[in-house]
Amino acid sequence: MRKIKKMLALTLATMMLLSAFAGLASAETVIKVFSNLPDRTTGQGFVEQQLFDAYMEANPDVRIEVEALQDEPYKIKFSAYAQGTEMPDLLMVWGMPGFLDEVIDAGLLAALPPDLGDELGFIPGTLDGFSKNGALYGLARNTDVMAFYYNQKMFDDNGWAVPTTYEELLALGETIAAAGIMPVSMAGGDKWPLGIYLTDLLVKIGGPGVNGRLYDAVANKDFNTPEFLQAAALMREAAVRGLFQIGFETADYGTAKNLFTNGQAAMFYMGGWEMSMATDPDIDPEIRDNIRMFIMPVVEGGVGVATDIAAWNGGGYGVSANGAQREEAIKLLTFMFHPEGWNKIAWENGVTMTAQDFSAYGTGEETPVQVEFTLAFTSATSVSGTPIIDMGTANFKNVSEDAMQEVAIGVLTPEAFVQKLADGCR
Amino acid sequence: MDRAYRNKAVIASLVIPGLLTFVFAVLAPICLSVYYGFMEFSGLGTPRMIGFANYAELLGDQIFFTSLRNSLLLAAGFVFIQHPLAMLTAVILDKLGKRAEGIFRTVYFLPNVISVAIIAYLWRFIYNPNFGLLNNVIKAFGGAGNINWLGSGNAIGSVLITLIWHGFGWGMLIYYTGIKNIDQTLYEAALIDGADGRQVFFRITLPLMKPVIEVNVTLALIAALKQMETVYLLTGGGPANETQFMANYLYKQAFQAYRYGYGNAISVVFVIICIVFTQVLNRAFREREGAL
Repeated sequence: MRKIKKMLALTLATMMLLSAFAGLASAETVIKVFSNLPDRTTGQGFVEQQLFDAYMEANPDVRIEVEALQDEPYKIKFSAYAQGTEMPDLLMVWGMPGFLDEVIDAGLLAALPPDLGDELGFIPGTLDGFSKNGALYGLARNTDVMAFYYNQKMFDDNGWAVPTTYEELLALGETIAAAGIMPVSMAGGDKWPLGIYLTDLLVKIGGPGVNGRLYDAVANKDFNTPEFLQAAALMREAAVRGLFQIGFETADYGTAKNLFTNGQAAMFYMGGWEMSMATDPDIDPEIRDNIRMFIMPVVEGGVGVATDIAAWNGGGYGVSANGAQREEAIKLLTFMFHPEGWNKIAWENGVTMTAQDFSAYGTGEETPVQVEFTLAFTSATSVSGTPIIDMGTANFKNVSEDAMQEVAIGVLTPEAFVQKLADGCR
Repeated sequence: MDRAYRNKAVIASLVIPGLLTFVFAVLAPICLSVYYGFMEFSGLGTPRMIGFANYAELLGDQIFFTSLRNSLLLAAGFVFIQHPLAMLTAVILDKLGKRAEGIFRTVYFLPNVISVAIIAYLWRFIYNPNFGLLNNVIKAFGGAGNINWLGSGNAIGSVLITLIWHGFGWGMLIYYTGIKNIDQTLYEAALIDGADGRQVFFRITLPLMKPVIEVNVTLALIAALKQMETVYLLTGGGPANETQFMANYLYKQAFQAYRYGYGNAISVVFVIICIVFTQVLNRAFREREGAL
């Protein structure tokens, strides 16, 4: 018995030593990636994973470790990482002052080669949000356009028409609600969709040039203008007239999306990054094949026309300045965005509109909603740029998101709302 | 053994680990919080000394006082709703005996062994206005079933119900243990003297449970003041900060608004409030003991 024990101990010790030496001998490079795309089998997460797999195949000595969380937990863990000393090497970042400015100012992101965007074929202007003081700190993943997704079959079956004015939209909401269906599924619990809704309304009220006025308002800490007051009142009116589902102020992203993809809601207010719903095998084909979109309709008396849209370049990637694998992470980022990379795969899979020129990758098999988004963007007469909630500091984002929810549910009047936005700038 | 205890090296070896743990795990973070409470600091970059400005802002911060009010409401809910029910349940369980006693004890304690995340999501589904259990039950009985349980006006009540339900098992178990420790001969003597159930409860059980009640009430107050996880997962403090609690608000300021300095100022005041309330409670119990 003692002999067996000795033999066993010797074998185990040998195995441990061998595995330790094997680890030393492999000299593997590990790139840590922090992503906001936890679903790795569909949508953007699928494209991201495809690219990581391709990179590892091309570089057998590299291993990519992905940590992925949903948006809100992602932001919280990002700030925890930022306050620590071990940032992952490649990070998802939002190219907006509310998120990026403080991260850049704290020296957490590495400056990328200044001509990288041009070399990779990014559309001019799409990387502005990822640049500061002439230096480039990230690459945009997609071009985001905000829209109402709708179920065309449900519309046709009930004789509902796509609204052309805001009043028509509210009236349509009342008609849909009367039929026992939720009109628009709104993720008001996450608050930021309400912030984009307000930006969308500001575009239709103020027309081209609203972006500059929004920046001025943040800089001057003064939002007390007729267009802000009207936008706030119109958002509140939407809630009062039942355009959004009951309990919209507590619905998170996933819940709101499910209401639409389950057929409980006729519309879903969300960005173009959700166009992959039209190819998602987990969604009932009767709904999936009938997903279409329309842009926020014009506001009566507003300056904005139907082709003035809420669009910006939000999500993207940056490289940690202090990460263990900074140079390798820049190589990976460059690989991801070479023209045949993210741009081609995302477009061909109907996942999103990228920030690069994707016109060469048309397959003729694009989903209808993909075509509609492309048309909306390419025919736009003006775009909003960064949504209002992301135009200031992180504190402004926090305060303004609260304010959006509060004005939507009637806790704040439009006058108190603009005052709260001003307070959030201080 | 006595000689060992008189040896200074032995004493030091016994005291130092605990002392070091206290210094690095409790005292140092509190001191750092006090330090950062005087700073304007986003958590990134260099902090800037701003004196008492964070504390001055805190005095005018309506949300902070809403958070404090909610914590005290929860404490009241624990003391005046959860604990009487928990004690009553413990008394009934004690009387049940045999297998039923064990089964019900497990059933009542079950929520406490389930992860807070699961509890929060479970209740989110129960409260969901569109497909939640509660509204569907109301519909089944002919009601409209369109109440937004976590919406404005209803949210704080719904959150309190969840928290009171979730903590019920602990309170019940502590009371149950207290009752089990009461000498059975007292009950037998009371029965011989012809005491009824009510008299037994108010003359024997309740007075002998006083130390247990004191501990339970103190724990409940601390739990109410410290409440964060369930609220964070259930409502995030919303809508419109209606269900905001102090710990959650602190977290929101420090890690979502990047106001690390202000978050630390809240934490300092938070610690002071916890100490004050615990001391007031201890003193109140001591005075009652003295009066009896």
